[in-house]
Amino acid sequence: MTSDVRKHYVRIVVVWVLSLAALYALQQYFS
Amino acid sequence: MHWIDWTILVAYLVWIVIDGLRLTKRSKELEGYFLASRSIPWWAVGLSVMATQLSAITMTSTTGQGYADGMRFIQYYYALPLAMLILSVTFVPFFHNARVFTAYEYLEGRFDPKTRSLTAFLFLISRAMACGAVISAPAVFLSVILGVSVTTLCLLIGLPTALYTIFGGVQAVTWTDVKQMALIVFSLLVAAVALVIGIPREVGIVGALDIAGSIGHMQTFDFSFDLSNRYTFWSGTIAALFLFLSYFGTDQSQVQRYLTARSVDDARVSLFMSGYWKIPLQVLVLMIGVLMFVFYIFTPPPMLFNPVHDQQVRQSARAPEYQALEDQFGRAIDARRAAATQLAAAKRDDADGATLPAANASFQSANDEISRIRQSAIALVKDVSGDGSYNDVNFVFPTWVTTQLPIGFPGLIIAAIFAAAMSTISAELASLSTATVIDFYRRWVRADADDAHLLNISRAATGFWALFASVVAIYAVELGSLIEVVNRFGSFFYGSILGVFLLAIGWPRANGNGAFVGLIAGMAAVAYVNFSTSVEFLWLNVVGAVAVFVVGAVVSEILPSRTARA
Repeated sequence: MTSDVRKHYVRIVVVWVLSLAALYALQQYFS
Repeated sequence: MHWIDWTILVAYLVWIVIDGLRLTKRSKELEGYFLASRSIPWWAVGLSVMATQLSAITMTSTTGQGYADGMRFIQYYYALPLAMLILSVTFVPFFHNARVFTAYEYLEGRFDPKTRSLTAFLFLISRAMACGAVISAPAVFLSVILGVSVTTLCLLIGLPTALYTIFGGVQAVTWTDVKQMALIVFSLLVAAVALVIGIPREVGIVGALDIAGSIGHMQTFDFSFDLSNRYTFWSGTIAALFLFLSYFGTDQSQVQRYLTARSVDDARVSLFMSGYWKIPLQVLVLMIGVLMFVFYIFTPPPMLFNPVHDQQVRQSARAPEYQALEDQFGRAIDARRAAATQLAAAKRDDADGATLPAANASFQSANDEISRIRQSAIALVKDVSGDGSYNDVNFVFPTWVTTQLPIGFPGLIIAAIFAAAMSTISAELASLSTATVIDFYRRWVRADADDAHLLNISRAATGFWALFASVVAIYAVELGSLIEVVNRFGSFFYGSILGVFLLAIGWPRANGNGAFVGLIAGMAAVAYVNFSTSVEFLWLNVVGAVAVFVVGAVVSEILPSRTARA
């Protein structure tokens, strides 16, 4: 496994957390 | 539709077939035909994975779901990035290093021929029926909106797809998927921009989302733990994780996509593309539904979005009842528009929020009244037409596209709906053909056949499955409830097949007997839970996978086999 792929593992978790946080913020703002 | 829109649609169909057939020369041997000689760049594989998963049902039904229920459905996708991460560490290297054509082929090396054949057989029957549904669903919706017969639309979708898949193989499937995905995303963006432009200036996009939010359309998290509720945070992160592991990790229509990648790392990165982009893409699809909801607050919608059913009720003995509902509906629409305008003004101008609760309550009550009238109208339609499974929301997006957009745009978006259907169908046909030839014909009938012979059989198998799916699709209108049963039946297999692969990779002492008995036990457990409880179908994936793994591991320990290996 290359270091590029390892970086993707970290990035995908970061993007996932940020996506859920953004959706939660969207819900809270417009409810 | 205007003739210019029809021209755009026909031009798309001609272009995609020519583009697919162009790749026929690269599919002269079996590995080229089924796996594109493992030569596809990661970004094309990634787009193909996404295009295969996004079917026309996503564009019609999911936008309709956004219209009726809001953003709630997004929870279904929360586990997808995690599933991609897990698969890239586990299943992807196993399949790539085993140099297999199908996921099921791996099971023979790990277990025995009977486990491989049973899982491949379960895949063939469930995926072939699902392929029929993927053709028929958009054909049924579009036939009503475009005034063309279901049979014609099934053929318009099925025939070109079959043509380029039969001759171009996986090369054609992947490269047409890439272009189809670009068309789909572009069309969705066009639809979203058109909807934003259509919002009255005094309301604005923030006001529009405020209005939608006031009736719960912006809800993206439901933390209640209720196994009978389909869309909650828990079903989206736990149950759907098992579904996605099974779909992307064991369903040949997806596994075949990343087996075409140049290396294990390319295959991994191609899956990450879905991990990064699937949630934002689904947000876009659902947001189109939410914006259509707001659009139809300020532009009077039809009471029902299916004009055929509408006419049917008007010409029936119950027309007066329908007319009375329509009169009530007209008044309720006016009241809701006024309440929405007041609500937007209260949100915008009322700094201390004193009038907001009253404006909120007034809008909710006006919207509830419309929902009540529409439910009565839908019940009337079901009585008169005998169509018990009628779901009006499937017709919202096609109706909006064909009645509200300027000439040229309906052609573009209907072509994108065709593209969404075709990208899914082509991958499914290719995978059905691969499993038929590799897991059955070459395994049990002609193990010594040369590539030229197998290539001819593969093309014939692709043609056979295209014909089978088209026949299922054409008769799907009459078989409506049967198709639903078959799709539900398909969910019996998903978790159980995943369980077999988890056993293969996660329990070193597991053997063929354990896997086979576990698979049967998993399906029995799923059948029991499905028929004796109200547990929602997503959780059946967990039940199946866990039952197979536990029973398979126990049986393997009790009945050790010489074939077991790590």
